[in-house]
Amino acid sequence: MDWDLLHRAVTTIGKGVGTTLTLASISLAIGFCLGLGLAVMRVSGNRLLSGFAEYYSAVFRGTPLLVQLFLFYYGLGQFDFVRDNPVLWWVVGGGMHCAIMALALNTAAYTSEILRGGLMSIPTGLIEAAKAAGMSRILRFRRIEFPLAIRQALPAYGNEMVLVIKGTSLASTITVLEITGHAKRLMSQTYAIFEIFAIAGIFYLLINTALILAVRWIENRLTSPGR
Amino acid sequence: MKLKLLSLAAILACGLSPLAHAAEGELVIGTEGAYPPFSMADANGNVTGFDADVGNAVCEKLQLKCRFVVQAFDGLIPALNAKRFDIIISGMSITDERQKQIDFSNSYAEFPNQFVAKKDTDLAAAKDFDTLKKDLSGLRVGVQSGTTHAAYVEKVMPDAQLMTYDTLDQMQIDLSSGRLDTSFADTSAQNDFLAKPEAADFQLVDVVIDSASDATLGKGLGIGIRKDEGDLKARINQALCDLGEDGTLKTASEKWFKLDISQKCK
Amino acid sequence: MQFGLMQLWDGGWVGAILRGAGITILVAIGAMLLGLVTGIACGLIKWARVVPLNWLVDIYTTVVRGVPELLIIYLLFFSSVEFVARIGTAFGWAGLAETGYPFLIGIIAIGAISGSYSTEVVRGALAAIPTGHVEAARALGMPRERIFRRIILPQMLRIAAPGVNNVWQATMKDTALISVVGLQELMRTAYVGAGSTRSPFIFYLVAGAVYLAITFVSQVGFKRAERALVLKGRA
Repeated sequence: MDWDLLHRAVTTIGKGVGTTLTLASISLAIGFCLGLGLAVMRVSGNRLLSGFAEYYSAVFRGTPLLVQLFLFYYGLGQFDFVRDNPVLWWVVGGGMHCAIMALALNTAAYTSEILRGGLMSIPTGLIEAAKAAGMSRILRFRRIEFPLAIRQALPAYGNEMVLVIKGTSLASTITVLEITGHAKRLMSQTYAIFEIFAIAGIFYLLINTALILAVRWIENRLTSPGR
Repeated sequence: MKLKLLSLAAILACGLSPLAHAAEGELVIGTEGAYPPFSMADANGNVTGFDADVGNAVCEKLQLKCRFVVQAFDGLIPALNAKRFDIIISGMSITDERQKQIDFSNSYAEFPNQFVAKKDTDLAAAKDFDTLKKDLSGLRVGVQSGTTHAAYVEKVMPDAQLMTYDTLDQMQIDLSSGRLDTSFADTSAQNDFLAKPEAADFQLVDVVIDSASDATLGKGLGIGIRKDEGDLKARINQALCDLGEDGTLKTASEKWFKLDISQKCK
Repeated sequence: MQFGLMQLWDGGWVGAILRGAGITILVAIGAMLLGLVTGIACGLIKWARVVPLNWLVDIYTTVVRGVPELLIIYLLFFSSVEFVARIGTAFGWAGLAETGYPFLIGIIAIGAISGSYSTEVVRGALAAIPTGHVEAARALGMPRERIFRRIILPQMLRIAAPGVNNVWQATMKDTALISVVGLQELMRTAYVGAGSTRSPFIFYLVAGAVYLAITFVSQVGFKRAERALVLKGRA
């Protein structure tokens, strides 16, 4: 057991944990808002809006995240009008920002499907009662539809959050040094494959387990006792 | 059911034979195929370049047929140990780290390394090592994953922001699009890049860094051989000596690099 | 501003991309089949609670579902354990094992990942079979093998069908990750083409379009299959 190597591996890979968490949390935050908007668009009666939401979802869920990532990072980086524009280049130029954008757009598609399922699962009786009580559209959404949809969607969304954490590992292919990025670099240098895989894997398992437990705790809090 | 199990067992028994020598009298060579001018592969898998020439010359001396297998650079050593090929000829330097995994032949060439930088920058004007090191602080340096260049920059210039790429192409794309300030590779690969239209704004930095200057850069290029193949190693070393003596290595080197980087037998 | 359409057309890249798409589909199918076999075996083990095997299965599914696919692929690629190559020879693929080395690793890696998702789908499907059916079959004195073949398996397949569709979609997209270890499938072809022609945008756009096409065709196929399954059974 090469303790030196293990120590070096744990400290190096540990440096990536912060990056992984930052990538995941910002992507999830942006992705959730976008996904909510898309879900609302999808269930709205407007053909244009729901059509756009449907195609967005199909495209981002039907292609691999790696392709989307490379398309944004290398593909968009190819054009002069992107390179010369400071706002666009801030997003696409650096690996970290580009990865966040790609991850956010990707998770928005999946989130919209999950939230759509949540919104559609609300018993129509509740909505009719709210309408009968004279609630405005926005008030109805804020007090009835949204909370119920969230509660319904929570298990599935917890799953999606784990998928986003795993998705951050792809950022390593565009030079971002999160957990997988550090792990790969160490593997190339030291060839201690199994040890490094184990250490990186344990970091991910810890993060994901903590996440799942947190989601379950929130689920318990939200579910009213009895019925 | 029993017949199926028996036949499966029979197939397994036949299958447990060594993998690499598909045919007798053949030498399977692993190479990267994406590192001009050492090793280039076209869409059909034909390999050309300095390494291909060295490989073909060695095969001729050993009176074996050559067959090249293309493989990503940082996977060459594991694949050699998994017997996917017999030897590695891919611009690979002999380093202590690598010698823990595999054996090397004697060094057959040694190349200098340089940085490239955008013209009219401080880095481009650097003329000595210390200025170079100072200028690199905080800059984004591109290197290829698993190479001695990556190890060198990490060790000798820790202030620089190191960005690793799987292939040269990716690194050069990011360099020309402005995501990197500079890159570090051997001089011939850099010259190859500078010949491309997208590299119009770039130039070599005048400070040449020899392999001799730091252990991370290795002790010259070697042919990678598995640890238990002492016999093959001896034959290859003999072949390399002969090729050095009769000038084949020098000719190949001048053909691809316009200078002689070959090394004679010690 | 050039989109690179010309570069795509010259140099025979269109053919290369189609060949790459073919490899992608082959790897995906191979991995899916490997994953299904694994999934059915492991799903049964977990459902029947065969101790201690089901603990091993639990470890397997937890690890593979909690660790990024990319890391698992790097593990298999860098460790390149000799037995992977020998498995290839054992199945008579000696030539394929040498030239198709990344191909084999790809199928095994993605197959292992796909298998963990299939395990959950199979387990869920098995759990959804009403216990009354199995009890009735036992009461009738049916032998165990026949109970499995006539009662459990058909219902499991029908209930699992939508889940299997999802696993297929995920498996097919995960094959893009093998590109990082050099297998000449669709994503790798786009990657090489993008690097060599310096026109990444058009190449990745086309690759994305091809993946979408594969997704679309498989969706249609699965819908047809589901309809057939529902009509055949009565429940």
